[in-house]
Order: sequence, then C-alpha cells, then structure tokens
Amino acid sequence: MSTLLEVSGVSVSFDGFKAINNLSIQIGDTELRAIIGPNGAGKTTFMDIVTGKTKPDEGYVIWGEKSSSLLDMSESQIAQAGIGRKFQKPTVFEAQTVRENITMALKNPRRPLDLLFNRAAPDTENRVRAVSDDIGLTDALDQLSGALSHGQKQWLEIGMLLAQDPRLLLVDEPAAGMSETEREQTTDILVRAAKTRAVVVVEHDMEFVRRLNCRVTVLNQGSVLAEGSLDHVTQNQDVIDVYLGR
Amino acid sequence: MQHTFIAKNPSVLWFLLGLSLFTVFVTIFSEAVGSTGISTSFLKTLGKTLCLCLVAIAMDVVWGYCGILSLGHFAFFGIGGYAIGMWLMYERTKNIVVGSLENNILPPTPEEVDTAIGTQIFGVVGSSEFPLIWAVSHSLTLQLLAVVLVPGMLALAFGWLAFRSRVTGVYLSILTQAMTLALSLYLFQNDTGLRGNNGLSGLQNIPGLEAVSQATLSLWFFWASAFALGAGYVFFAWMLAGKFGSVIRAIRDNEARIRFLGYNVEHYKLLIFTTTAMIAGIAGALYYPQAGIINPAEIAPIASIYLAVWVAIGGRGRLYGAVIGAVFVSLMSSWFTGGSAPDINLGFYVVKWTDWWLVLLGLTFVGVTLFFPKGVGGLFDLISNYREKHQ
Repeated sequence: MSTLLEVSGVSVSFDGFKAINNLSIQIGDTELRAIIGPNGAGKTTFMDIVTGKTKPDEGYVIWGEKSSSLLDMSESQIAQAGIGRKFQKPTVFEAQTVRENITMALKNPRRPLDLLFNRAAPDTENRVRAVSDDIGLTDALDQLSGALSHGQKQWLEIGMLLAQDPRLLLVDEPAAGMSETEREQTTDILVRAAKTRAVVVVEHDMEFVRRLNCRVTVLNQGSVLAEGSLDHVTQNQDVIDVYLGR
Repeated sequence: MQHTFIAKNPSVLWFLLGLSLFTVFVTIFSEAVGSTGISTSFLKTLGKTLCLCLVAIAMDVVWGYCGILSLGHFAFFGIGGYAIGMWLMYERTKNIVVGSLENNILPPTPEEVDTAIGTQIFGVVGSSEFPLIWAVSHSLTLQLLAVVLVPGMLALAFGWLAFRSRVTGVYLSILTQAMTLALSLYLFQNDTGLRGNNGLSGLQNIPGLEAVSQATLSLWFFWASAFALGAGYVFFAWMLAGKFGSVIRAIRDNEARIRFLGYNVEHYKLLIFTTTAMIAGIAGALYYPQAGIINPAEIAPIASIYLAVWVAIGGRGRLYGAVIGAVFVSLMSSWFTGGSAPDINLGFYVVKWTDWWLVLLGLTFVGVTLFFPKGVGGLFDLISNYREKHQ
C-alpha cells in the first residue's frame, strides 16, 4: 500500500486560536481510516484543509503518485483530482430529484460547454442506477431529494460521493441521526467503498468506529495524539485522559 | 432529441403557441393591414412590451435560476439601444446632410459632409467632432455586432472580477447597481460623446426605409420582437434543460457544495451573466427604435430594479413567470399612470393613482416576496396540483 495523501507539519489558526497545530497524517491508497477526537480537536478543519476550503498557515499537503501540492489548487480542482467530501449535515440539492443529484456528481467532464453541447454522456442511466442500487434509493430516483428522510439524504450524499468515483473519500459523521439498522447499512457501504479506494471517516460515535474495524487516529488540540487499532488507542493513557476520561 | 426536449418542456410549446396566436391577432387588427383595431402607437407599446419580456427572461435566468441578483441588466439593455441608435442617427443624418448639400454648385468634400453630420448630431452639446466611440457608426454590421459584443464584454469583465473574488449575495447586487449608476452618470455627461442627457432621438425613422409608413414599420418591429422573444425563450429553455440547468440551480441553492463536486462555479456564473447580458442587449436594440428615443435616464438603476420586481411578481425560476410579470406590471403601470385608473376619494384625501402607483407596486412587491414567493407563476402549480389530486 503506497501513500495517497500526506499531510505534514500543517498548522492553521483562526483569530489566534490554533485549530490545527503541526498536524501530520498519512493515508494509504486503499485504506479505511477513522479519525476521532473531542470537540474542537480539529477534525473538520483537517477536512477543510484537504479539500481546499481553508488554506493552512504552514505545512504541506501532498497528493498522489505525482506528489502534487493540494495547497495550490481550488476546491473544484481538488474535487476533480479525486477527493470527495461528505459534509456533517447532509447537503443534497433538495429542490432537485435524486436522479439529478446523482447525475451531477457522476464522473464526467465538468466544464460548462461540455455540459451544454455534449449532453448524452455515455451510459448515464446505467451508472446512475448502479449508484442508486448501492445506496438503496433506486425506487426514489424521481423523487425530490428534499422529500427523503434524514438517513436517506445521508446515503444520497454518500452515493453522490461514490458517483464522483474519487480516490479518497472524506466522510464527516456519516452516522449522525441514523437509526440502528441505517447505521449498519452505512457501515457496509463504507467498508465496501474502502476496498477500491481510501476512505477517511470522522466520527464521534465509538460503537460506529468499532464496527468499521479499521486503523484509528485520535486528534486532540489540532495534532495527533495516538494512532493504531481501536483497542490500542483506547488503552493509551493520553487518550483516556483527554477523550474518554472526561 | 428535439422530441424529448419539447416533451420534457411542454411550457415551451404552449408559450410559442400563445405567442404565435398573439402575433397573428395583432397583425390582423393593425393599421398596416388596413384595420383600425390597434393604433400604431399601441402597436409600438405591444412590441416594446415583447422586448421587455425578453430582458425579463434574461433577468429570470440570471436571478431566478442562477441566484445572481443583478441590478445591471437594464444597463445592458440600454447599451444595446445606444449601439443601434448610433447607426440609426448617423445614417439618417448623413442622408439628410447629403440631400441638402446636393444643390451646391461645388460637390461637397468628404470632410465637409463629416463636419455637417457632426454639427447636426453634436450641436446640442456644443461640438461638431466625432468622438472616438462613433468610429464605426457608419457601419450597420459593426454596430449590430456592438449590440451583443459591448454588453457581453462589459459583463465578462465585470463578472470575471466580481465572481473571481467570490463576491455574492447582496454585495454583488450593490456592485452591479454601482456599475449601472456609474454608466448612467457617465452617459449624462455632455463630453462623453453620446449627447449627454439629450440621448439619441429620431430612432423610429429607419434610414433607407423612408418610403415605408410608420404603421408598417411598427408591424415589422413587432414581428421582429415577437421572433426574438420566441427564439430567446427556446434558447434559454434549451440551455437550462438537462444537466447544465441542474448545475445552475445547484449554484443558486448551495454554491459551496457544488464546488466540492468539482464544478468551477465562477465559469458557470460568468457564462450565464455574459449570455444574459448579450440577450438583454438584443432586446434593447429592438426596443429603442420602437420607442424612438433613448437617454441616460433609461439606464438609471431604478430601471434594473423594476426588472427584478417584474421577475419577482411573475415568479422566479420559471421562464413564463418572467413574461407574465413583465406584461402584467408594465400594462398595469401604463393603466395607472396613464390616467385611466379612477381616483379614489377618501373624503379627507384623494388618492391619485399617478402619484400612488409606485407605492402600490412597492407594497405588491413586498407582499409577493413575503407571502407568495413563487409569484403569479405559482398559480400554475396550484392548478396542476389540483388536477393531480382529482385524477
């Protein structure tokens, strides 16, 4: 397994508050990784930096075989390079149908003129269907996505990520607000996705992380506190002190 | 492909049908064919209204679909009018000047002709020199190009600067309004070369067609306006159908999210902003020959605000909504301000609609925005919902 994403020595502060402090993380090309940590540990800021939403004050973010720097790229360029992101709050386009949402996400040329003059992208229908089958929303394809349940919206968003066919998925609290069965299905979707690509899950919920059964990185105050299997990190005294002990 | 486009957008067919029927109806009753049902001045009003509908559609695309509340699209409309007006005025003045110099014993030199034309056109602002921006006014082709290219270039440059810096929402509206105000103030000046507050006039006289009566000319312009509106409607409907339209509406609803899907939002906005500005220019170029005169007051920010009011009242995010809004509000406006609306005597105060119409319009705008965000066009949803329930 070679390194797909390398974050090294990254720091960023907002109004004097150090949200990320000399953070270094490496993600392999087919890896499932969970990132946990107390509130304010910098989990979401880490995602913001990788996806180009926030520019760090110092450090490097290196991507792929060509070792290109993500810091010089815009959000849309980073997304096109193969990093997909799911937000904490499900953000699908509620005024549009499930089909339209997935179609927009499908990996296709994304320039305006491509969309205007090259409308019949090959095989769109089958590809949309493959994604909707994966997330169990085939029956709802022609519904407005605003009419979906909370859990279904979460899946739709994961589905839109899969449709992008990214090499790295950043998933922020996928199980928030889900029922027990929905959580299990979500775990399945993520584990399946991680067989062919890298998946990074930020999560609060320890049970959910246990079910993912993967390597865990614990963040605290913007840097890595511990890394290893879930059992390994939960026995770490530092982790117990800052995260579990409180 | 064409079949599915119409099938997916039945409103396009209905709109074209309605527009064609209206055009035939108006033609039959126009003075040009010997009828007295529709006077030439009313025919001009109808033709102008069609042009306003076209710029309203453009406004709807940029605001209702893409979420950019531009308060500058009437400026692009005005630029289109100025661009065509320059040729109309130059060519007509030249014909008159050449005609009057023909009787001279010595044939006039080109310089003499030029000076004479310059004096005729720019005498009102105390000049006889042709300013640089009139350099191509002798060429109809180039001025027609200017109708689309000048608004297009201005929108492109302005949009590139604004969208690249990620100026959005009310800040962008303020910027576009500032641009509009700056443009109208610029045009108001006498030394900018467009005759200051006199504007360009006599645009209803088309050079080379002096033999054609105004009744017939007006009908031709009415047809051209109807054709432009129909073509513009189909063009925008085509543009917004399918995935491109999906992305545009997604930009309106959540710009940050669509960026993370890998779409370059700025390019899309720029394309929409520029295209709609060019269509607005075309609408203006058809409008002002029917109006006969254009002056900088036409471009003042209030006109662009009106445009937003029409679209809001008609219904944002649907093309026919913009048309309904433009027709409804501009006809109401001429009814109320034309003195036809009866005054209301409250005993202690007489409400004169010529004074109070703007207040009524303002209240309607606020009311529609608060209580009927879908506007008049939203009524069509009620009808289709009702039908579905009772099937």
